[in-house]
Amino acid sequence: MSGWKFWVLLAAGCAVSCLPLLSSNNYLLQVFFRIALFAALGLAWNLVGGYAGQLSLGHAAFFGMGAYGLAIFAAHHVPMWISLFLAVLISTLVGGVIGKIVFRLRGPYFALATIAFAEVLRLGAANLDITGGAIGLSTPSLFTGESFWKLFYLSAVILAVLSFLTNYWTSRSRFGYYLMAIREDEDTASAVGIDTANYKLRSLILSAFLTSLAGAFYGSAFQFIVPDSVLTIDISVQMAIIAMLGGAGTLLGPVVGAILLTGASEIFKNHFGERHLLIYGGLIVVVVLFLPEGIMGGVQQLLRHGRRPPANPLAMKAEAQGVVRQ
Amino acid sequence: MNPLLEVKNVSKRFGGLRAVKDVSLAMHAGEILFVIGPNGAGKTTVFNLISGFLHPDEGSITFNGHDITRMPPHDAAWLGIGRTFQIVKPLPSLTVLQNVMLGAFMHTGNVRRAEEEAGRILEFLQMSQVKDFLARGLPLASLKRLEIARALATKPKLILLDEVVSGLTTAEALALAALVKRLPEWGVSVVGGVEHVMQVVMKIADRIVVLDYGAKIAEGKPEEVVRNPAVIEAYLGPRYKEIAR
Amino acid sequence: MTTFFQACLDGLLIGALYALIGMGLALIFGVMRIVNFAHGAFLMLGMYATFLLFDRFNINPYYGFVPAGILLFVFGYVVYKLLIQPIRERSEFMQILMTIGIDLILIDLAQLTFGADYHQANIDLVNRTLHAGRFTINAASLLSFGIAAAFIIGLQMFVMHSRPGQASRATTQNRDVAPLMGINVVRIQGLSFALGIAFAGIAGGLLLPALYLFPSVGEDYTLKAFVIVVLGGMGSIEGAAIGGLVLGVAESITSTYIGNQWALAIDFVLFLLVLSLKPSGIFGRQRA
Repeated sequence: MSGWKFWVLLAAGCAVSCLPLLSSNNYLLQVFFRIALFAALGLAWNLVGGYAGQLSLGHAAFFGMGAYGLAIFAAHHVPMWISLFLAVLISTLVGGVIGKIVFRLRGPYFALATIAFAEVLRLGAANLDITGGAIGLSTPSLFTGESFWKLFYLSAVILAVLSFLTNYWTSRSRFGYYLMAIREDEDTASAVGIDTANYKLRSLILSAFLTSLAGAFYGSAFQFIVPDSVLTIDISVQMAIIAMLGGAGTLLGPVVGAILLTGASEIFKNHFGERHLLIYGGLIVVVVLFLPEGIMGGVQQLLRHGRRPPANPLAMKAEAQGVVRQ
Repeated sequence: MNPLLEVKNVSKRFGGLRAVKDVSLAMHAGEILFVIGPNGAGKTTVFNLISGFLHPDEGSITFNGHDITRMPPHDAAWLGIGRTFQIVKPLPSLTVLQNVMLGAFMHTGNVRRAEEEAGRILEFLQMSQVKDFLARGLPLASLKRLEIARALATKPKLILLDEVVSGLTTAEALALAALVKRLPEWGVSVVGGVEHVMQVVMKIADRIVVLDYGAKIAEGKPEEVVRNPAVIEAYLGPRYKEIAR
Repeated sequence: MTTFFQACLDGLLIGALYALIGMGLALIFGVMRIVNFAHGAFLMLGMYATFLLFDRFNINPYYGFVPAGILLFVFGYVVYKLLIQPIRERSEFMQILMTIGIDLILIDLAQLTFGADYHQANIDLVNRTLHAGRFTINAASLLSFGIAAAFIIGLQMFVMHSRPGQASRATTQNRDVAPLMGINVVRIQGLSFALGIAFAGIAGGLLLPALYLFPSVGEDYTLKAFVIVVLGGMGSIEGAAIGGLVLGVAESITSTYIGNQWALAIDFVLFLLVLSLKPSGIFGRQRA
């Protein structure tokens, strides 16, 4: 998608997204808030998991750091918006540190390490005083008053657009091409001069920035956070599924995935109650077995009759790689 | 004139296996050097050592005045060493053009310019008609060309061609060989590695280095090397040493 | 000093069970290169199976683990055929994702079937302690140690001396060449997967008397299994055995000197330490 067509569609998308603002139904606004936020999250994950092809299952770490950062700084009397800034800054920096360590690992080791980091943070949050332990912390409300949820929804939409534009820019830049090369074949990438560890790190830092921002807004909107609400592996898995279901490595994929998954879990909440694990699990199995390209990937393939690259090359066989590279 | 590439007494061991034993070679800019040897002789290991994918246990490697003994592969690429892989490694979900653009990106950050440069190289390699096809669907001969195209896009001073004609029909191999022969004209020196396909080697190599079981057993012009008894023995066995006499 | 050795002793006792879990995972990883994120869930199923036998038919878990193990073997094979085999050729990414999906499904199915309540199997043996000098040994722990040790040795012998065992080792070392030796790789992979799962189930059965049973009880053990496998060197079964003992002792010492809730943390710390310092594990060889 190129040129003016893209911008028109984006504008249209934004316009449509603003429709919920006309409603005063707080419940509805809350649902849309989640959908928009998870679209942002899916897009953020897409940078690392879709374009760079690295299966990170620890993004909850950044989400949680954003939320907890905001809460902790605010609890120490730092002005709200500065707390937000600091929280996001620290999460992004930590993302850089984590990246330096985990990107030396390949394949399953990498995925495991990302899980481990997030879990360490969760355990830490559950056991330390400064994070309120298992009881949790209250988070300041960035917005107050009647339009509380409208403002939060609007913020989420803006964040989603930001994530979307980041994806868009990535997909059309040398940075994006380099990430895709890393995804397809790291040896080839090295052979054309790509410092693979460096680029993976950059994608993670970008992703961590967006994710922690989303986490902070989430914490703020719901005004209270506990380790199991913002640092749980569920969030990491959700981000991955949203992107994969919709089509990792595509622009619209994570958006579609978020709308479908978050929307459906709201709609069916009453019918299926607590079966979200089963549904997620079932979706994963279905996607892996039958729809590895995700929905948008499948659509792209149909439209271009196989002439264009499939959206999710992760579906392809990869050679068994060693544990640590260079 | 100083050699462009100098490999000095390089050894590499994998566990108990000594893949490369005290190998030395040198080449000058504008040369086409071929490293030949039977299967398992250590050719690919030498290539990996030169391009930074492996590091030697002993010895040193110098390229264009730089010590590249412990350099990581992407840095070696930046210094001007390009390579192809024995088992082709295209980026399967990208188009041919996009594959080559990856190489072109080394010298420009602009997508449009990378596209143009890649297009030029593909045209030069007579691959323009396939440029929008997915790399995945291409036949081997085209993939081999694609590897070269991608490496050339990085504007290397030296290109390592590992088994670049293996798996091709004679006609395809000779066509590719003609192309390789011209590379020095464009400022690209060549180090090729082959197991057999001697026709190609004889036609285009300026010099040949022969490896056997990780050690260098001969070096020189093609006509000399081919008559060297040690070389014949390595390839055909001791009974054929007689041919040399 | 006694405290220290007591902690080590306790650690070794539980370590054998950990070794069992880890070896199952190592077998699966070695033969199929699949990182089974659902390993703990299968352990949980083994626990539930053993519990059912105890609850309905009064079968002592220290016998009940056998049918549980067999059941998990069959179940593991079925799961392999339906969900793992079809994606054998896919990328690691997809395979990992699949096992995660299986994990989620199994947990929720357990919750649907058995409810979220905690269950417990009260066995007398758990309350009995033996004394050896200044050291105390819990009788139940000793029994499960013995059983686990027997299985560990059994697995080692199987892998070293039996034809299927050697076939699985051959496949571990070189998956591409194995078929040339007449090894039916798909079948060996299925059997190895089933066996690995069975071991998880057996460990679950043996753990039943000591733990509260609930649907997500296995999740911590998935991590432990990973730590063990990484400690021992991915794919090395002997390494996993040692890794299990090491983890058991490390946890025990942490519990004794720092506190119970930090025992889980030591799992992560060890994991990250090994990955950072010696990713090929204590016994691993760097795989090219």
